[in-house]
Amino acid sequence: MHIPDAFIPMGQALVYWVIALIFIALALRWARRSMGEEKIPLVAVLAAGIFAIQALNIPIPWGTSGHMVGAALAAIVLGSPFAGVFVLTLVLLVQGIIFGDGGITVMGANIVNMGVVGGFVGYYGYAAVKGVIGNTYAAAFIAGWASLFISAILCAVELAIAGTFPLSLGLTFMGTYHAVIGLIEGGITAVALYLIASARPDILEHPQAVSA
Amino acid sequence: METEQFVIIGIVIALVIAVAAPFLASGNPDGLESAFFSIHEAKPFMGSELDEEAAGAAEEEAIATTGNDFSYEALMPDYTIPGLDKVGEVLAIVLGTVVMIALAYGIARVTARPDN
Repeated sequence: MHIPDAFIPMGQALVYWVIALIFIALALRWARRSMGEEKIPLVAVLAAGIFAIQALNIPIPWGTSGHMVGAALAAIVLGSPFAGVFVLTLVLLVQGIIFGDGGITVMGANIVNMGVVGGFVGYYGYAAVKGVIGNTYAAAFIAGWASLFISAILCAVELAIAGTFPLSLGLTFMGTYHAVIGLIEGGITAVALYLIASARPDILEHPQAVSA
Repeated sequence: METEQFVIIGIVIALVIAVAAPFLASGNPDGLESAFFSIHEAKPFMGSELDEEAAGAAEEEAIATTGNDFSYEALMPDYTIPGLDKVGEVLAIVLGTVVMIALAYGIARVTARPDN
């Protein structure tokens, strides 16, 4: 879902950069207040794992592929939507600057779509669904799916504003493909959460006890 | 599990994925690219045949529409190392993973809440 430079006019791209920078500043404030030093190795491992898994495009029908984004996982594991912003910003910086994956002028939009929306929908979706159905892994799956799907919907709206997609076709096509890619996001989020929770139940943050 | 062991296992898993990705990853357009090509009639919405010529024209059209012709030559474009085939792809993703560990560790180190 990495938007390339050509898809958004420079002026609009700048607006998304401003929004992204506000959330990056909030994420840094979250880190200073709530990300204890014991979390540092976990942040490094999550960022590396998310970078690697993003390179693994999994085929879906219709000659299309998709990969995990990972913001929901980071937000759930580290106990704050801002953790999704924090980790995804770093991942998108490396992808954009070293690998040309995702544009430079539009990196703000990619940070907003994947880091901010992914982190917030993932985190609050997980907390809400877990509160209703009680099952951690089902909640992680649903939150992962929703985080990816809503990121894609926002992306379609941005590209409609940009003039790159007509709105209705953009929503239909982006929504359809990412409804399926969301299953990848949800599945890997649930499995990774299970593995982390099994290995180190103590380092998982609990949604109730967390503030940004 | 001790933190050291947890971190080592985590890094090993990331590196295994990094090495395997070039062999396993699908080369099909991702969801956004596929939607873009379908909307611009370079590919059927529910089909898989990509018309390369129409796809290229659609990309030119996007630049004309947005006026954003910013271009940037990345060091390892699209997770490749120019001149090296599969080996280059493996190396690129492994290097990226290592850079990611170092960068995330460093940034987390300087931004984390001090313990005392």
